[in-house]
Amino acid sequence: MNIYFLDDSKLSGLMRILLGYGRVFASTEREVASNRNSQSGIFVRELTKEYLNSYRIPGFRAFDNFKSFVLPARAKVADYPDEKWIDIKKGKDKTILVGLKACDLASFAILDKVFLDDADFVDPFYKKRRESLILVSSDCTYSSDNCFCNLLGNYPYALKGFDINLSEIDGGYLIESGSSLGNKVLEGLSLPDAKENQISERDKKRKKVLEKLQKTNSEFEKAFSGPDILVSGAFDSDAGWDLGSTCVSCSACTNVCPVCYCFTLFDREGKKKEQYERYMVWDSCQFKGFSQMAGGMNPRFSKMDQFKNRYYHKFFRFFKRYNIYKCTGCGRCIDNCLGDIDMREVLSGAYAYSGKNK
Amino acid sequence: MLILGRINNMENIYYPRQATLKNIKEETPTIKTYRFKLDKKLKFKAGQFMQLTVPGIGEAPFTPSSAPGDVGEMEITIMKTGKVTDKLHDEVKVGDTIALRGPFGKGYPMDKFDGKEVLVVGGGVGLAPLRALIYALFDKIEKIKKIHICYGAKSPADQCFKDEYKEWESRKKVSVNLTIDKPHPDWKGRVGLVTCLLEKDYLKKMNADIANSYVVSCGPEVMLKFVTFKLLDVGFKPEQIYLSMNRRMSCGVGKCARCNIGPYYLCKDGPDMCYADIKDYPNVFG
Ligand SMILES: Cc1cc2nc3c(=O)[nH]c(=O)nc-3n(C[C@H](O)[C@H](O)[C@H](O)COP(=O)(O)OP(=O)(O)OC[C@H]3O[C@@H](n4cnc5c(N)ncnc54)[C@H](O)[C@@H]3O)c2cc1C
Ligand code: SF4
Ligand code: SF4
Repeated sequence: MNIYFLDDSKLSGLMRILLGYGRVFASTEREVASNRNSQSGIFVRELTKEYLNSYRIPGFRAFDNFKSFVLPARAKVADYPDEKWIDIKKGKDKTILVGLKACDLASFAILDKVFLDDADFVDPFYKKRRESLILVSSDCTYSSDNCFCNLLGNYPYALKGFDINLSEIDGGYLIESGSSLGNKVLEGLSLPDAKENQISERDKKRKKVLEKLQKTNSEFEKAFSGPDILVSGAFDSDAGWDLGSTCVSCSACTNVCPVCYCFTLFDREGKKKEQYERYMVWDSCQFKGFSQMAGGMNPRFSKMDQFKNRYYHKFFRFFKRYNIYKCTGCGRCIDNCLGDIDMREVLSGAYAYSGKNK
Repeated sequence: MLILGRINNMENIYYPRQATLKNIKEETPTIKTYRFKLDKKLKFKAGQFMQLTVPGIGEAPFTPSSAPGDVGEMEITIMKTGKVTDKLHDEVKVGDTIALRGPFGKGYPMDKFDGKEVLVVGGGVGLAPLRALIYALFDKIEKIKKIHICYGAKSPADQCFKDEYKEWESRKKVSVNLTIDKPHPDWKGRVGLVTCLLEKDYLKKMNADIANSYVVSCGPEVMLKFVTFKLLDVGFKPEQIYLSMNRRMSCGVGKCARCNIGPYYLCKDGPDMCYADIKDYPNVFG
């Protein structure tokens, strides 16, 4: 695929073309109150015409994940007994997401396994929303201490899964298309081909971020060398998992996670007589009620069992079913944990323990 | 980004179809059998389950207790225990409309039973899904060696499908073995937990051929646990034991991620699981 050069001054032109396809939601850097400085200050918000000219693509992933664009926190999924009701408006309107990082793209590939690629049941709402997305990704120009995408086979730059990808270099971006729609958009910009020195500048930048990540995470490499075997092997005992003891079951980790998709269905009366609505709402395996049954029986009764289930699901169950780990290594769960729990350290603890017992 | 999904017609997997309540039969003080007329025929296999909606209240999973096949009506036997089931027991009347989604799950491995004896072991309301199995076995009785129905209930008043035992027993190749938990003035039969029907002596009395049998069991989780241990104790192999496992469910279609044992989802891979497949995973019996 051809790589072009997009001069800084032309970024707004690109955004303008994208706005022609539908609403644009972009990862956006903004000033935040000082007590939140530890967080990146990068949030996803709608990009409207007035912000077009000042918009810059941040070099780091947003605080928000993008899953709510395909799995909203609360969405109507049935209106019964109206069999024909299906929420999503027909039409060509797209939702354009800008500034996704490689980990964000990876999250869609993971969610697709459950909601789209299931041979028996495709979720029609997910499908419609997913098909309406235009994904415009960009390279990470820096990483945080909590990023560990490299431990899960990802890179801080996207190689696939995007419509358009941008790589920041001196004076602008290298830009490439990953789909026919991307091609069409780029054609509209009539850009010059990237020069060889620009491509090597990009490659150098990419390498630098990757090397930093590798350095940050070198101590955890062993625990991630086969987390499925590790988690299933260490599950039976609570020893080795003691870092989980500060978990307060707040569900922050599952909410901020771009690939935690557990939900529950609930029904209520509609506005009309004898009309009812069904909603899908985010749920969390960190809540006791998640698997509570009649008579108080609960296969995940203890808080530690709930805590471990998140790991078990991500690194064992999901892997067994879909042949991919359900984690992108984005580090959001570490950023946001009330119990100050670092997933990498938990797995390393389990690793050390399982090593002792073999 | 263009996605090639497998269905182009937008079938809504969360939509419940309407059904009309035709009849209610009281089995015990807390268990009733409901007969529903469906708005469209559907095909279900013994052991597959339905999601039943009480409009505006919510959904809960139940395995039909009536004969499987291509049906326009079905029976579901339900114990009163919470939000949805309270509403059903207390308020829903004959002629009312409810809604159903399904069938879901794999159902019992009927082909495996050819040429074998089948021990059907139920406890409490657990006999309900097994009744569909019993009918399915009757339907192919020429291929089955024997059916031993073993059922435990708390008291005579807590037995489901009481008026059918005689008819079952009168059939060739079928034995019905009942027990209640504690002695009761109206009860002349066996007393003890359902596991007492699985003691070596008793199996001998039933003329059960352990090596040539499959066991299918459904009941409360604790019962399944002790039944399994007893079966292993008397010489059954894990491969011969099928258990109707219970987990909380919401979607029924392998998405909401809660009804799991090891890597399995009961809604897609079960709800009946071969004990050999699950025994090494954590928290099998809670
Ligand atoms: C595959 C399957 C088949 C079933 N078949 C039958 C059947 O034929 N007859 C029958 O009476 N019951 C059956 N059950 C159990 C039945 O689904 C629950 O009793 C029902 O969900 C309770 O719903 P509720 O809204 O009345 O209770 P709730 O108000 O939801 O809760 C009451 C109690 O039931 C618990 N509960 C919720 N879901 C389940 C569940 N899936 N299993 C057990 N407890 C649950 C709640 O956590 C709570 O403790 C089956 C369950 C499964 C998973
Ligand atoms: S588990 Fe944590 S690191 Fe992995 S994808 Fe979810 S939020 Fe990111
Ligand atoms: S964010 Fe931390 S404290 Fe909250 S539920 Fe997750 S692991 Fe537990």
